[in-house]
Amino acid sequence: MSYAHADALVSTDWVAQNLGKDNIRLVEIDVDTKQYDVGHIPGAVTFNWTTQLQDQVRRDILSKEDFEKLMSDAGIRETDTVVVYGDHNNWFAAYGFWLMKLYGHRDVRLMNGGRVKWLAEEGRPLTGEKPSFPRSNYRAKDPDTSIRARVMEVLEASSKGSANLIDVRSTDEYTGKVIAPPGMNETAQRAGHVPGARSVPWSLTVNQDGTFKGPDELRALYRSAGWVEGKPSIAYCRIGERSSHTWFVLKYLLGVKDCKNYDGSWTEYGNLIGAPIEKNV
Amino acid sequence: MDHSARVYDNVFEMLPTEENPSPAVRINALHPLREDVDAGRSRYELFAKLEWMNPFGSVKDRAAWEMIREAEERGELRRAAGGDEGRGIVEPTSGNTGISLAAIASARGYSMRAIVPEKVPLEKKVMLRIAGAELDVMTDAMCPSPGMGEGSIGMAKTYSRTYPNRYLMLNQYENQTNFKAHIRTTGPEIWRQTSGRVTHLFTSLGTCGTVTGTATFLKQKNPKIKVIALQPSAGHDVPGIRNREELGVTKLFDPSLIDEIIEVPFERAYTAVLELCRREGLFAGPSSGLIFDGARSYLARERPADGVGVMMFCDNVFKYVSSMVKHAPDLAPQE
Repeated sequence: MSYAHADALVSTDWVAQNLGKDNIRLVEIDVDTKQYDVGHIPGAVTFNWTTQLQDQVRRDILSKEDFEKLMSDAGIRETDTVVVYGDHNNWFAAYGFWLMKLYGHRDVRLMNGGRVKWLAEEGRPLTGEKPSFPRSNYRAKDPDTSIRARVMEVLEASSKGSANLIDVRSTDEYTGKVIAPPGMNETAQRAGHVPGARSVPWSLTVNQDGTFKGPDELRALYRSAGWVEGKPSIAYCRIGERSSHTWFVLKYLLGVKDCKNYDGSWTEYGNLIGAPIEKNV
Repeated sequence: MDHSARVYDNVFEMLPTEENPSPAVRINALHPLREDVDAGRSRYELFAKLEWMNPFGSVKDRAAWEMIREAEERGELRRAAGGDEGRGIVEPTSGNTGISLAAIASARGYSMRAIVPEKVPLEKKVMLRIAGAELDVMTDAMCPSPGMGEGSIGMAKTYSRTYPNRYLMLNQYENQTNFKAHIRTTGPEIWRQTSGRVTHLFTSLGTCGTVTGTATFLKQKNPKIKVIALQPSAGHDVPGIRNREELGVTKLFDPSLIDEIIEVPFERAYTAVLELCRREGLFAGPSSGLIFDGARSYLARERPADGVGVMMFCDNVFKYVSSMVKHAPDLAPQE
């Protein structure tokens, strides 16, 4: 069995072989944004998840206009192949991938293994030099809402069982032992999980070297957690980046057609007045 | 040099060796088999090896010194001169290795950049700066993942790969000199200090340099010596050590040298620190507290009639004041 959409993933070898090609653009998106400044894959630009990938006033994803400006400033064209990679096994790289798909970028791919794999491989080049590309005139499509879950859908999925709800956070967050990982600024008023959600921590989908596990192993992982194949799926975490990672796994590696990322995630749900919550502690 | 007079030409002469070992101090009031010993049912002796008596304050002095000396001998380090910024060290660290490296590097004229995870106690971060290191703090370990610690290690690799002429990464997680330092020093010290009677080594797991090197030496001397590794429970907050799930980042872990791994609920590290400080006068840090608590459980279970145990007490409590207050809030002075 192979991945459903294997072309959504590229290997580090593929990236190394395609460095510098005009129509292939690299974007590094890290949790810890200092890393790009010190060194990155030659030709890569970076997007800062705190300042460039979300609306800076209201809590929301980038507007279409802001997304167009972001891509234009980076010199990315609608016809380019965009390869996204980053730290923490591609957490925010997957979020960037999701955002680009939401705004209709045709050819976007994730570098399997992310930054950690590139660094683990001897001889892979790194540079501190920031590339400069001529500004493009990027035109985005209207947002594809079929890949974004809003809270009302989550509440409905929870009450009616109409979709697999996958909680990808750590076990302690799922059970309600902690509201958020230690030291995190973005948090919620309440701990626990959405009733009916299955716990499949995102970390179970990757190998030690940062690459994704194989399709059979992934399918078995979700099935063992009670995931029902053929049913729509919604992934959530705390702020929507780890769930982007699982959304990628479900949609592109396992081929789940109706699959959404709930980017509001626990920092929205865990703050809602009256929303039902389950706790296991 | 004359260790009896303790007069030295430079601080490096104070580094531990078989002739100048870190102290091994007998556990008395807290001896886990106190009643058996007092009743004559057991002759078991338990010692704490006080690694904070090393000149830069921890067990890591040993590996840091040998890794730097080896790099010097290979000509891999360069002092800044004229327009040349020199080639210094970059290292991911939870604190102690970085402090030892920074102190040694600074005194020998090299630059040092330490990459630390955010959760490292403030005291250690400040100590790194005091010792002369540049500091990068990484947002590591936000959510358990296979590549735990990736942030710090990745950042150090990024510096050394992007600027190879300015940074050498000694890489304590892979550098075999890390455990060889313990084959050369810690193992022989323990053998000599116990007159070859040691039966148990109690230690924690981090880079695993200490356990791998010391166990290699001791088991060569006497294959019957039991090596007991103490690990904190998952999700722990004991700086500088790892539980098994976090060992993926180190290449120095050799399970064949370890007879048993005992998991200790990590909070007990902090209560054990208070016991050691207040009843033995040993100002041990949290990892030492964890080791003591685990050794106590093991000995209570086994109740050996004879033998000599040695616990590796990696550092003292002074660098963990904020951690102590966090886990024992009663310690905070009342305003």
